[in-house]
Formats: sequence, C-alpha cells, structure tokens
Amino acid sequence: MSAPTTPEQGLARAWGWVAHLREGGTTPWRDWLVGGSDAATAARHLPGAQQLELLRRLNELAARERVRPGAALAERVLSASMAGRGRPDRLLAGADRPTGFGLPPVDPGDLPRGELLRVAATLLAEDVVAAGVEPVQQGLLRPWRVRHRLVGDLWLTAPAREHLLRKGRPPGGRDRIIVVVARDLPGMLADTWTAHSFDAGVPPWEEWVAGAHRRGRLYPRADPLRTARWWAERVGPAQVHVVLDAAALARVVGVRRLPTPPHVSADGVDLARRLVPVMGLLAVPERRAELLRRGLAPRLAAYAGPRLAVPDEHRDWVAEQARRQRDGLLADGYPVHGDPDVLLAEPRPGGRSPEMGAVFELALRMLLDGRRER
Amino acid sequence: MSKRVLLHVGTPKTGTSYLQDVLFRNRDRLAAQGVHYPLDRFDGHFLAALDLMRLPWGGLETHAIGEWDRLVARTRELLAAPSEGDVSVIISHEIFAAASRSQTGRALAQLGLDDPETEIHLLLSVRDLVRQIPAEWQENVKHRSTLSFAAFLEQISDPERDSRIGSWFWGVQEIPDILDRWGADLPPARVHLVTVPAPGSPKDLLWERFEEAFGLRGLDIEREGERANPSLGVPETALLRRINRSANRVVPPAAYRPLVRELLAHQTLSQRTGSPRLALPLELHGQVQETSRRWVEAIKERGYDVVGDLDDLIGEPPTTYVDPDRPAPRQVNAAAIDAIKALLVENGRLLAEQERLDAELARTREELHRAYLRPTYKLREKIVRRLEGHPAGRRVMRVYRRVRGRPQPPAMPEG
Repeated sequence: MSAPTTPEQGLARAWGWVAHLREGGTTPWRDWLVGGSDAATAARHLPGAQQLELLRRLNELAARERVRPGAALAERVLSASMAGRGRPDRLLAGADRPTGFGLPPVDPGDLPRGELLRVAATLLAEDVVAAGVEPVQQGLLRPWRVRHRLVGDLWLTAPAREHLLRKGRPPGGRDRIIVVVARDLPGMLADTWTAHSFDAGVPPWEEWVAGAHRRGRLYPRADPLRTARWWAERVGPAQVHVVLDAAALARVVGVRRLPTPPHVSADGVDLARRLVPVMGLLAVPERRAELLRRGLAPRLAAYAGPRLAVPDEHRDWVAEQARRQRDGLLADGYPVHGDPDVLLAEPRPGGRSPEMGAVFELALRMLLDGRRER
Repeated sequence: MSKRVLLHVGTPKTGTSYLQDVLFRNRDRLAAQGVHYPLDRFDGHFLAALDLMRLPWGGLETHAIGEWDRLVARTRELLAAPSEGDVSVIISHEIFAAASRSQTGRALAQLGLDDPETEIHLLLSVRDLVRQIPAEWQENVKHRSTLSFAAFLEQISDPERDSRIGSWFWGVQEIPDILDRWGADLPPARVHLVTVPAPGSPKDLLWERFEEAFGLRGLDIEREGERANPSLGVPETALLRRINRSANRVVPPAAYRPLVRELLAHQTLSQRTGSPRLALPLELHGQVQETSRRWVEAIKERGYDVVGDLDDLIGEPPTTYVDPDRPAPRQVNAAAIDAIKALLVENGRLLAEQERLDAELARTREELHRAYLRPTYKLREKIVRRLEGHPAGRRVMRVYRRVRGRPQPPAMPEG
C-alpha cells in the first residue's frame, strides 16, 4: 500500500498506528503505511507524538523481554499529561492536518529521548505516589540509649537515623555525642549527590562535581572536616566522633547493627533526580522525600548498573581534597573510628556518570515492571 | 433552563486580574443571581490551573495538589443542584491558555463535554502582539527573571521554541493554537473572543466587552475592583531586573512576592508616571503585524463569536522606542530612590508593628509571672513535680493530661 496523501487518509493511517501500538506493535511511524481504522470514533484527538513514541519503545522492550505491556499501561501512556514546563504534546507529522500554528507536526522517531523521558517521569512519579510508604514511628524510648546526633554523609545516615528512631533511640539529648559519618571522598561525593537527587533536586552529576571543583570547595555534606570543626566549636572536640567504618557506626551509637542504604546505580540516581520536580507537583516536600528515598530507592536498587564515579578531570582535585580531610581530622584530634586512610581510598573501577540512553532504558523497564504492581 | 460552564482560559495581560477581582468580590451576590464563581481564595483557579497542567510555580504548586479535581467536583455539584433558573459557573485563569491537548481534553471531559445538559463556553480575551511581547517580558521580570529584553526577543524568535521562555510565550499567546487546543471540540458559537480595545479607547470598554461575553450584563454587581496587574515603564522594569540580578540569591520566593512584586513593582514603581513605556523595537513591528494578520484571518474563517473588533489585534505601530536594556541612568536612579523610599516606609511600619508586639509580649509575660506567684499555682506545681518523680506518678499525670486534653511533654528532642 502506498503512503496516504489526503488528510483523511493520513488520519486513518494514524488511528491504525495507534491501534497497532495498543496491541503491542513496534513498527515506527515512518514505516507504518496501513490505514483504515474506526478507532477515531472512540477518541476526539490523537495522542501526542511523545506519548505514542514512548508506547512504541515500551512495546519494543516488552517484545525483547517476551512480555506484554497490557492494555492498562498502554492507555496510561497514551493519555499521559506531561508535567512541568517545556514543549507541549506534539502533533503527528502526516496525520494531523497542519494548522500552520503551534509547533509543526513531528515524526515521533525524531523526538529526542529527553522529551520521551518527560512523559515516562510523569508516569513513574504517579506510580511512586500510588505505592506510598508508611511513616516512620518512634519506638518506645530507651532510657539507656547513647545520646547522639548523626551528621555527615546524608545517604549513609538517613537509614541509620530512621532505624534508631524506630528502636526508641531518637537523636539529641543532654551530653549527646556528634557522630560525623564519612567514607572515601569520591564515595561521599556520590552519596551527597544521590541524597540530593532523592530529595530537593540537584544539577546533573558532572555539572555538580565541576561546580565544587570550580569553587575549590567541597559541598558541606561531603566535607567531614568542616562538619567536625563546626560541631567542635559548639560542643567541644571530645564530643565529636568521626566514623569511617559502617560497622563501627553501630558500636558508637550503641546498637548491634544498622541498615545500609540501597545501592542505586548511577542511572537510577539520575532517574530519581528527574522525578523530583514531578513529585513536587504530586506530594508535599516532606512526603516527597520519604516517597522517593524509602519508596523509589529500594525499587531502583533492584536494577543493577554501574555506580557513580567522579569524572577523570576532577580526580586529582578530589584526591587532594581527601588528603586535606584526613590530615585535618587527625590534626584536630577527634576520636576516629576506622582507618583514616579510608578517606584516601582510590575509586573502584567500573563506575561512570549517568548516561541518558541508559536512564531512559531504566525508566522503560520500571514502567513495564510497575504495571503488575498497580 | 440552561446549565453553562464559562471557561475563561486567557490570555495573560488582557485585564484578567481586574475581571477576576470583580468576580471574586461579587461572588455571593452573583451566586444569588445564578452565576457562580466557585473558589475560597482569590487564587483558587490559579492553583487549579497549576494542578491540571502540573506546573511548578516557585513553590506554590504544593498548595495546588488536588485543586483541579476539587474545582471540577464543586462545578458539577453547582450545576446539578436544583434550580428554578439558569445556572452558570465561571472558571477563569489566564495560564490555562498553556494547557496541552491532552490536558484540555481531560478538563473538558471532566466539566461535562459529553453531558447533553451542560453547555461549555470557552472565553479567550486577547490583545495585540505588539503590546503583548514587551508585557510578557515585563511579567517575567516581575517573576524574578534576569533576562534582558534582547535575549527574551531572541528566545521567542526561535521557531523550535526549545527554551522555557519560548515554549511558554507562544503557549499562552498564539491565539489560533490556543483555540485549536481548547476549542476544537466545541461548536464555534460557544467559543467567544474578547478583544482588548486599542490604546486610547474609553476606560470602561473592556469591562463592557467582558460583561457581554460572560453574560453579566444586567446583573447587580459592584464593578470597582482593587486588584490589577499594572504595567511598569522602561526605567522601572530595568531597575527591577537589576534588583533580581543582585537579590535573587538572597531573597527567597516567599519574601520576593510581597516585597519585590507587590511592594516595589505593583505599589510603587507602577505608580510612577511620565517614564517611557515599554514597546516593541521598531524594526520588529512589521513582522509582528504580519503574524497578527495571519492570526486574524484564521480566526475570522472559523466563525467564533467575537466581542470587540478583531482588527484591534493587528496593533498600532509604536512611534518611539526606548531600549530597556540601555535605560537612561538618571531615570533608573529616580526610580531607585522611590523604591528605597517605599522600603524605608515599609520598614518604619514593620518597626512600629514590632514595638507594638514587643509591648504586648511584655504585658503577657508580666501577667504570666503574676499567675506563677499565686499560692494555688505553687501548690499545683509542687504536686506535679512530685508525681513526675516516679513511674506511677507519671502514669497518673499522663491519664490526667489525656482527660484534660492537654499535650504530653515533648518526647522528641532535636533531629
């Protein structure tokens, strides 16, 4: 069959393609030449090009995985409304009658991944809100508890803090010790960016690291030396404990063990970062952080992938900062739990920065897997 | 008996703040006459629009969660209520203009597009691009933007509309496209365009056009509104942009709104007269007029109900142009002096308020202190201290507090 030439034929071809996608089809729009569908009677207007292409990519992944996306997921994708500012739904080139106004119609195959990811992020954020998480309840107060306050690495301290609260060991109290939790500096940078990505939002990883390098200063939450000194001025150096070993942390706060945070890949963290602005439209800030960190992070941890690594051009600067941290902490004389040389540890091989293609693929996988959970 | 939803979706800078203020102030009076403007706070429909379109807006979006569905439910409830006469529900906010096709489809379906008993009327108030372009830039500056006018013009000239500014500007200003997104499923007779009169027209003309389009004519309402979105001149807008560049990092959004946008821009700088007005650069005028002519032709062909004159959309050619990126220093200085004066007056008012509150606090403390000195208080304090000293006593106190509905002592120290 030859390509349709009239607007009516173009529209019939488009509805035929929509029906094909609903049934799990993967043919790109530019190769779809079959027309004639009555589907137009069921809906007033064609879904946007972004939504259609996202469904096609989902179908491609589903075909590779030998699963069916299902009618419910297809409908969700086709009726999705993109959150945030940016270009609106695009018309389908060769289908919608060109009006001469608005953005010109587009071949969905030419859309950049970022536009498809905007639709996917909206749907994933809805999934996260729908799944919900239980609020953390404080356990019966233990009078013999070690009075403490956890500061430092945000990603490591968050689950520890919640666990202690559940066990009746909330932070604070008279004569509390200040526990500065730290690890190797590249890891601490990655943890800080990860924690921000699951909370209030943060620039992309490489931009964020470059920002610190340009200013010549570590971000406060990735700077244990500055944190320790700040607290030492307020409570005295003897009250400040620097913990560089996850096992030692449990001992210092007087419990047998503490949970560790989920291991989320570089691409997983970047996906979470892209969900934050959408989550801000669906949940209040306090709830948003809980949903992302305790709801989304364990789900993301189920998908393996390379961890975050500091880009090569910043490694020397980070190594220099790590030496400054170790020397400063030792010189100040705080009780240090763990080997201070941990701070100087070389980054493990195999890490990298997030990659757009992999982030998009992960979003597709999560949408596909999430269809069973809804 | 008719049941109508009057959906006013834009565009910005067309007198919408004044219209919404009159509707808000008269909402009880209007409701008694069968015309409902359902909202509890002035910006209720703005929040509903943010929610429908899932738009971030400097933190306000957290107040918007669920607002669109609530507005729809309230509208359906008002339309379904038994009534002896006609019932109309007005929904109005200019940022609805930016809604995408999927969002407009959802909104219209929820409001009763398929309900044969409900008539949905779309209203769009429109003004010529010649005035809208500088007005939109100024609106950006009043929302913390530091973008120069030249950069703004460059971004809106990008045919791909790849920037945030470009996609938003055309989203809320390209009239035929807005009507394609919102009006495609409605009969042309239920799509009403209100044109903003050309400069120099009688002051009441725009309001009369709104009255006609909304069917408010002959209703008993007070027309005086307080809220407006007044315009600034060239030096005032240039000053505001410089303030943004310097203060954005240190002034949080919650303080920016009352101090910069309200106090400085609306209450102070917009009151200055005699400054050169913002305008389109003369060399762009022909091109912009050409675009407007194309729009007017398309609108005429579609057969909408037009209140006013579509030819007003072509825009008058400006006679002078003062570049807001290179304002006269003396004029900016004069505007800055007025701004400093306004801030000093406001600070004076706040200092007086602080003194009043300090005095009130001192009086309260004194009264509290006297209450502590009473023998009965001392006796009660002694009993409580004794009870809190052992577990059984603490249990008694807990029961007592629960019975009296008083808060338990804090158990959660700092986090």
